[in-house]
Amino acid sequence: MKRSLLLPVVVLIALAFGAMAGHDWASPSRLVSALSGDASLQSQLLMVWRLPRVLAAALVGALLGLGGAIFQGVFRNPLAEPYLLGSAGGAAIGATVALLVPLGLPAGPALAGLSFLGAWGATWLVLAIAGLHGRPDTAGLLLAGVAIAAMLGALRSFLMLALSDDTVNLQVVLSWTLGGIQTPDTAGLLLLAGLVVAALALSLRLARGLDLLGLGEEQAFAFGLDPQRFVRIAVLVGAGIVAAAVAYGGLVAFVGLIAPHLARWWAGPRHAVMLPASALIGAAIVCACDGLARSVLPPAEIPLGLITALFGGPFFLLLLARRLRA
Amino acid sequence: MRRLLLKGLVLSLLAIAVTAVVAEPIRLTDALGRAVEIARTPERIVPIFASNTELVAALGLADRVVGIEAYTRYPPEVLDRPQVGGRLGFSVDAIVAQRPELLIVTPSRQAMHLLIEPMTRLGIPVIVLLSRSVAEVMANLRVVGRATGQPERGETVAKALEARLAAVDAAAPAKRPRVVMITGRLGNGLVLVARADSYTGDAMVKAGGRHALERTVVAQVSPEAVIAADPDILLFAGRKDELDALIAQPGWRLLRAVRTGNTHLVARAEFLIPGPRTVNGIEKLAALLRRAAAP
Repeated sequence: MKRSLLLPVVVLIALAFGAMAGHDWASPSRLVSALSGDASLQSQLLMVWRLPRVLAAALVGALLGLGGAIFQGVFRNPLAEPYLLGSAGGAAIGATVALLVPLGLPAGPALAGLSFLGAWGATWLVLAIAGLHGRPDTAGLLLAGVAIAAMLGALRSFLMLALSDDTVNLQVVLSWTLGGIQTPDTAGLLLLAGLVVAALALSLRLARGLDLLGLGEEQAFAFGLDPQRFVRIAVLVGAGIVAAAVAYGGLVAFVGLIAPHLARWWAGPRHAVMLPASALIGAAIVCACDGLARSVLPPAEIPLGLITALFGGPFFLLLLARRLRA
Repeated sequence: MRRLLLKGLVLSLLAIAVTAVVAEPIRLTDALGRAVEIARTPERIVPIFASNTELVAALGLADRVVGIEAYTRYPPEVLDRPQVGGRLGFSVDAIVAQRPELLIVTPSRQAMHLLIEPMTRLGIPVIVLLSRSVAEVMANLRVVGRATGQPERGETVAKALEARLAAVDAAAPAKRPRVVMITGRLGNGLVLVARADSYTGDAMVKAGGRHALERTVVAQVSPEAVIAADPDILLFAGRKDELDALIAQPGWRLLRAVRTGNTHLVARAEFLIPGPRTVNGIEKLAALLRRAAAP
């Protein structure tokens, strides 16, 4: 098989696994009959509930893969992950308000909208604080991010305690923070797909800058890049992408950290190739883990973030060990 | 004269004996197997959690309640009592300030870990109650009756409720409808259901329903599992707007219960607070299930 075809094939396998996995396993023949318009409850369930969710999982994974790759590129740090600059904390505040405060808005859009605003707003705040005295550098951004994340975490905990009562319990927010893909309706799915296309286009526009930044700020400057301006734009694009992922899937751990590494090992360091590879790998990981989340303990469903960390962690360690040996 | 003295002596001895009986401490074992000794009949009680307050009130002892926590909404006559915590934990200081002679707790929201040790050190007896089934709720009435020096009353109230439950059971339809009760929606799209091994799930069975979902180790369940189970009746513990928002989600229209209008609300106070009012809820739900099962 041609190397360039490998990742799309892996994603297709993950999609097929996701479509088959669930409260009860669907055989390939059942999938085919569902796709060909069978009217039984099982087939309709696959079409109306499971397939949109599988596609949403893949798209959320793609966003996390892209966001992680941008953050690792900007900070030139293998430990950088999408939630680095307070976006997780901000998103969680937004979600807490949406879930616990009766706003009189439709629940779904309010949750997605507020978590998106929270994630992006927190990143803006970090950028503003880090740039109080001139232009932000990456160390200043990281430190501001850590401080803001700690404050937002404390604020979220307080809101959870203060706003929950006997009709809305803490589990509502806690489960959201552990991640989980919501099954979107058709309009929601199309919007998410549009967001992924836009995210990929924006990321690819950052690719050359990220490559240059990898040479060091002085070198990048010599090649005509304004590093600080670029960092600010890249951070906002990355945070926007992550905010979209959070709005659809809550806080899914670990994917944005490992997908870029796997992509770099597979495709090399050039961002023009590595960014789409990271998106595809993220899509495959979230799709497979969401399938596991839905099928490991039926009829219960395990929060997706637990699965990505539980299964993704050892898998990543295995790859890391093999790589270090090589 | 001598006879009079003898009479007086006998009466005095009797009085001493009666006093001794009255002063005899109440000893019982709580749900955790802790041996609890209550030195004298408690006149000042702090029940932590709504369910425990309702148990005390059901025995006609609401006037002895000297403190409640923030989530207590019933009975109305105790709502003016001082709050000893709830939203942000429980205050040992606020509880002690009420000079309680008995504390009743449930292992929830850290209450047990926060309160048992300091209260024990201060000499305030604490009993812990569990409510994993309707039978356990009835047993709790008896325990609270004994702890408050009203064992007969505890027995009478529990027996009356058990008689009502027996009447419900006798009238249950031969073919029990398959039911799923949703008790909440989570932020990540999952739903909470009444599990078979929980008191809420037990109450649903006592009302004549049958669990449509297989056993689950955790209460949060995939909507896919509920839709695939296709229960005869979908129950929702909450408000109508919440139920409407739930069934507007993708896939829920596939449910027979949704399409045929067999979705019903049940009161959270009757199914999520393990107290005497649960029996009211069971009776209402039983009537609903009988109507649904009627050809």
